[in-house]
Amino acid sequence: MTTQVLAGTGSRAPHAPTVRLLRAELHWIFHRPRTLVVLGLLAVLPVIVGVALTLADSPGPPGDGPGGEGGGSLLASAAGNALVLPVGTLAMTLALLLPLAAAMAGADALAGESAHGTLRGWLLAPVSRGKLLLVKAFGVATVAATAAFTMALTGMLTGLVINGGGTLFTLSGTTLSFPAAIGKVAVAAAWVSLQLWAVGAVALAISAWTEHPMLVVASVLAGIVLFSVLGLLDALSWLHPVLLNDSWQIALADVLRDPMPLDTLGEGALRAACYLAIGLSVAYARLTTKDG
Amino acid sequence: MRTVSVDGGIADHPLSPPTGPLAARTRGLRKTYGPTVAVDHVDLDVPEGAVLGMLGPNGSGKTTTIRMLLGLVRPTAGEATLLGHAMPDEAGHALPDVGALVEGPGFHPFLSGRDNLLRLAAAEPRLGGGDIPGAVDDALERVGLTAAARRRYRGYSLGMKQRLGLAAALLVPRRMVVLDEPTNGLDPAGTREIRSIIAELHASGVTVLVSSHLLAEVEATCTHVAVLHAGTVVAQGELAELLETGNPGLVVSTPDTTAAMEALRGGRIPSRLVPEGVRADLTAATAPEVVACLVRAGVPVHEARRARTGLEDLFARLTQGETNGEDRPERDGLSDVVETDGEDT
Repeated sequence: MTTQVLAGTGSRAPHAPTVRLLRAELHWIFHRPRTLVVLGLLAVLPVIVGVALTLADSPGPPGDGPGGEGGGSLLASAAGNALVLPVGTLAMTLALLLPLAAAMAGADALAGESAHGTLRGWLLAPVSRGKLLLVKAFGVATVAATAAFTMALTGMLTGLVINGGGTLFTLSGTTLSFPAAIGKVAVAAAWVSLQLWAVGAVALAISAWTEHPMLVVASVLAGIVLFSVLGLLDALSWLHPVLLNDSWQIALADVLRDPMPLDTLGEGALRAACYLAIGLSVAYARLTTKDG
Repeated sequence: MRTVSVDGGIADHPLSPPTGPLAARTRGLRKTYGPTVAVDHVDLDVPEGAVLGMLGPNGSGKTTTIRMLLGLVRPTAGEATLLGHAMPDEAGHALPDVGALVEGPGFHPFLSGRDNLLRLAAAEPRLGGGDIPGAVDDALERVGLTAAARRRYRGYSLGMKQRLGLAAALLVPRRMVVLDEPTNGLDPAGTREIRSIIAELHASGVTVLVSSHLLAEVEATCTHVAVLHAGTVVAQGELAELLETGNPGLVVSTPDTTAAMEALRGGRIPSRLVPEGVRADLTAATAPEVVACLVRAGVPVHEARRARTGLEDLFARLTQGETNGEDRPERDGLSDVVETDGEDT
């Protein structure tokens, strides 16, 4: 008994347009209550910080900014400064909250879908596994960038409303024009997005290995905390260049200087790109070989 | 492998000549998870246009076989072909024409049934962008979910979830539909609807592969059947063939089996002792003749009924093996059961 070859196997397989898949993915992500709650809370955070700093009413004079040792100290100079508030809250939340959001998106993308049995639906459509990872990575990247830029936007607006447009001081003591300030905040948000993509890629890699989204979030957070601790130990300074979050706070403080020093920012971007490449490669290797 | 021969099947069966093209085929399929052998030596033939019921107790390898056939799982050894394409490597060519409901329905709880289907439809290669809403609404109507289409999946009953899974398999006109335990969680009315949907698909020439652990369900819907046990196919062929395997018999329960045996021997009706009483062979005599013969000899008859056919007998033994745990019959012995109509029941 022989089977009939009913279609040319050499021809290109029919497939759904990628744009349609990306749109469906975004529809799914942005209709999920938890995505909206997380983004909403992150958007409100700069407002809360701005109001709290104003109520504390301790405006430090511009120009005495700290060396950027941490988001907290950066925020100390955010009172009465419309430029520092958005970047300062980004730095503060990049320590834990923003990576948490990226990890959550990465966890839901593959592990969460496996747990619901919904990944199977697309695999059977079929969507090739490489394409699936592309769509998922795009979704996680969108969530991360949306979180960063939303915070930057509400932070900027809060700063302008509370302190007025004349308070766009850099840490170097110069005063920026409004467009230049927007540019700096955008650079900070974009750089933060890149760091979050690195976190998201690692989350996707773990996500491809498990059906438990909680495990992905826990692993990523444990990694962030561990890296932070290791980064504090001078005896391990040889290890510091490979720690993703090693210079996050310094780099964001650098954005607020005039002129902007690029070495720490560039090094951080390069490091994030490496994590991104490794994370996506591991996710691809796993996704293309695992049972669906 | 020993399977029931299907040559010379029922002559007037138009859709599944044994030598016709196959919609799906596996040879020597094997899947192991670590030391556990999930399926082994599975040689399955699904003729085009057939409704093939995959029958087997839980854990017999039905779902694993289906998952390999659909390219979700890469076999450890052996080959699987779906609509002429080697799986899983050519899944992109075969799957657009295959609808499947595997391992229960999988949907997002926070989306409505309709939104869930829209998400799946976005990935269907055979659907143009403009056709998606129409295809989704048609599929919902076909499974009777139109009224609940805009409710969140979270609030669906088990039966509604199952129907939505079926709707996903029917989004596009398919050449083959694979349904893994489709009546799980359905009430009798829902079960009948599934049967009528399968019958509709069959009438329009679609090949259907449906797995079940219920013999009655397979009997009601299928043209062909494959019986799996302990990870291998122990029998396959046309349903009618398998049901009629072996000699017809009449089991008579009586307190006086010795007298019954003597009476039947006197009437030249071949018979033997079985646990329930006496089993008379119906090749030489009809059932009324057997009963008349016994009554004439003064043998008290409590009950007389047709002996189980090969498939029923085989399946009863398989499910018994399941409940008895360790007490699983030998595989080859089981194949013999089909061929010889359970000599030792």
